[in-house]
Amino acid sequence: MAIYVYGIIDSNDKIGASVTGLGGAGVYNIPYRDIGALASDLDTPVRDTDEKRVLEHETVLEKVMKSFTVLPMRFLTVFNKRDAVVSVLNEHYSDFREDLDRLHDKAEFGIKVIWPGAVIRERIVNAYSKAQASVPSPDDSPGKSFVKKKFETYKINKEFEEEADRRIAVIDNFFNRFVCEKKLERLKTENMLLSASYLVDNEKQDDFKKAFEGMRTSPDDLKYLFSGPWPPYNFVTKTKTEHKHE
Amino acid sequence: MGAVNTIQDRNSSSSFLKENRVTLLEVLDRALTKGIVISGDIVISVADVDLIYVGLKLLVSSVETMERLRGAPMSGNQEEPT
Repeated sequence: MAIYVYGIIDSNDKIGASVTGLGGAGVYNIPYRDIGALASDLDTPVRDTDEKRVLEHETVLEKVMKSFTVLPMRFLTVFNKRDAVVSVLNEHYSDFREDLDRLHDKAEFGIKVIWPGAVIRERIVNAYSKAQASVPSPDDSPGKSFVKKKFETYKINKEFEEEADRRIAVIDNFFNRFVCEKKLERLKTENMLLSASYLVDNEKQDDFKKAFEGMRTSPDDLKYLFSGPWPPYNFVTKTKTEHKHE
Repeated sequence: MGAVNTIQDRNSSSSFLKENRVTLLEVLDRALTKGIVISGDIVISVADVDLIYVGLKLLVSSVETMERLRGAPMSGNQEEPT
């Protein structure tokens, strides 16, 4: 029988019976010193990433985070036996303890900002073409034309990214006063200007949400997606991606 | 589930479905690619992350579709995002 682990909590107490996990399995706490691992016994192996199971994983974490500080594990973290879980708690105790203290009474919020990237790029291209048209240029060799074209593309991309940076700075400055930590990703796609994760103290969450409403309703060409509170997926520190198959 | 707030009309069933879809994608974005990863032979499996790139495109698409359902399309670009 395998053991599925949802996350690490700042308690070695029992978990309430109302929390159910993957496939309706019971969730219990595997204690180690003053922390514990949220776990379920798995009778059958879970190897597929299906939406239902991901939501069950998330539901456990969200229920438990109402009472405890939670460090979420990546979905589908499965151990072969209880001793292996205890061994991980022992080996990484100081890292877990440090994260639990740092993330106590805080939650993660996500803000995604979408801009009309194609329109903005087209505007930059048009402005660049107009500026170039006014400069007389002699007939170029194919090689020189190629280099020139590459340079144009570079300059257009650079200006596009600088425009993105300017807008992100305005948004980020606006939210900065409410947040403890943040992770910002710029232009994950042409239209996704910003994907931000903010760690917010529980006491400031209402103000943070109100601030978002203010930003969202301001007249501009940006669209916003706000989500949370989440377990602090983006703010745990033990996130090495290598595993035994690599 | 972590609440998702966009600009959709909550009375619209289409928007409601889209909201659920966006919520799911937000969960996938976190649970499949973030969180603690334990390495070593004692771990049997950790989630594959290939889905995230598909999910991200769907997310942008879903948010923009919600805008259209609401009747306030993004200025300019009306094509599906890349």
